[in-house]
Amino acid sequence: MLDLSSFNNLQLDAIREVGNIGTGNAATALSKLLSCMIGMDVPKADLVSIYNIAEHYGAPDTLIAAVFVRSLGEFGCSLIFIQDEEDTRLMVNLLLKQQFGDSLPGDLPQEMLDSAFAEVGNIILSSFLNAINLLLGIQHQISVPGVAHDMLASILDVVATIFGQMGEMAVIVNTELRVGGVDNEGRKITGNIVLLPDPDALELLLRKLRVL
Amino acid sequence: MENTYHVGMADLIVVSSPAKLITLGLGSCIGLVIFDSVAQIAGMAHIMLPESRGANIEKIGKFADTAVPAVISEMIKKGASKTRMKAKIAGGAQMFALQGAPTDFLAVGARNIKETTTMLAKEGIHLVASDTGGHKGRTVEFSTTTWMLAIKTLGQGKTEI
Repeated sequence: MLDLSSFNNLQLDAIREVGNIGTGNAATALSKLLSCMIGMDVPKADLVSIYNIAEHYGAPDTLIAAVFVRSLGEFGCSLIFIQDEEDTRLMVNLLLKQQFGDSLPGDLPQEMLDSAFAEVGNIILSSFLNAINLLLGIQHQISVPGVAHDMLASILDVVATIFGQMGEMAVIVNTELRVGGVDNEGRKITGNIVLLPDPDALELLLRKLRVL
Repeated sequence: MENTYHVGMADLIVVSSPAKLITLGLGSCIGLVIFDSVAQIAGMAHIMLPESRGANIEKIGKFADTAVPAVISEMIKKGASKTRMKAKIAGGAQMFALQGAPTDFLAVGARNIKETTTMLAKEGIHLVASDTGGHKGRTVEFSTTTWMLAIKTLGQGKTEI
């Protein structure tokens, strides 16, 4: 099996580039959905210890919202879209206003907000994955999205557990999207796409990119 | 003054009273506490996975089947008696529920609960209280003054077991 501790910079660069291609596609899809500009950063690809993954994202007890999907097929991976709870609220509002205009009631039930959030997350994550699979020339099937609102540490527990079954290290591709500009009150909406390739998938990826 | 100890992922800490043992944001992981209130000794482990399957173990607190015996033996080294030991556990949630996908690896919380309770039974340690399962993360805090485990869950406030 692939030994993560012997990863080199060329390999991490290749993975970062894959993240870049995925993010570009995700940003385009989100931009169409929300009819606004989406900014993106250069993704980071890091080899991190599973025991302190949360530290890369913020305080462990920060309240966040997350959408999780599993990709099945040759390139098996987990994808998580995470953002601050407040940003999720703003982003979902943006989407609903887009659909319903100003007739949108202010007190929508949580299930409806969650369902809208799941859909946005799903579009972001599946566009991300589509671009990667197109690059690799393989087919995939994506699970329905799962939504959670919880402490950062609890949500990243899932990540640690996935990699923990194989070893002590995880390869994480992390990228930030910025929705629109800042609003009247100076707030901006950001969110992170986190790609967690399964070890087999990582090997496949590196072979296809000829860096293994 | 009580000393406060943060038990990180896959960590295992054994302390003498007075002390506070804290773990932030347990998801599918288990916060295991074993204590001997007579000897005034308590241990906490932050268990990630059920079985080590003989893997090369860097952190003994990572797996239920290695963490339970390790907490017990660390406590005995400090002067605790196995016959007086009691246990409390919290955690083992399933953070994401996906329909139509193989969820084996997402259901790791349930397997963690099962393996931890099995290991405690095997060692003959009485499990006096537990708060496990569900879909919410937990922050837990054990005090060796009250021997109670306080559990905080988002949107559901604080309980003590």
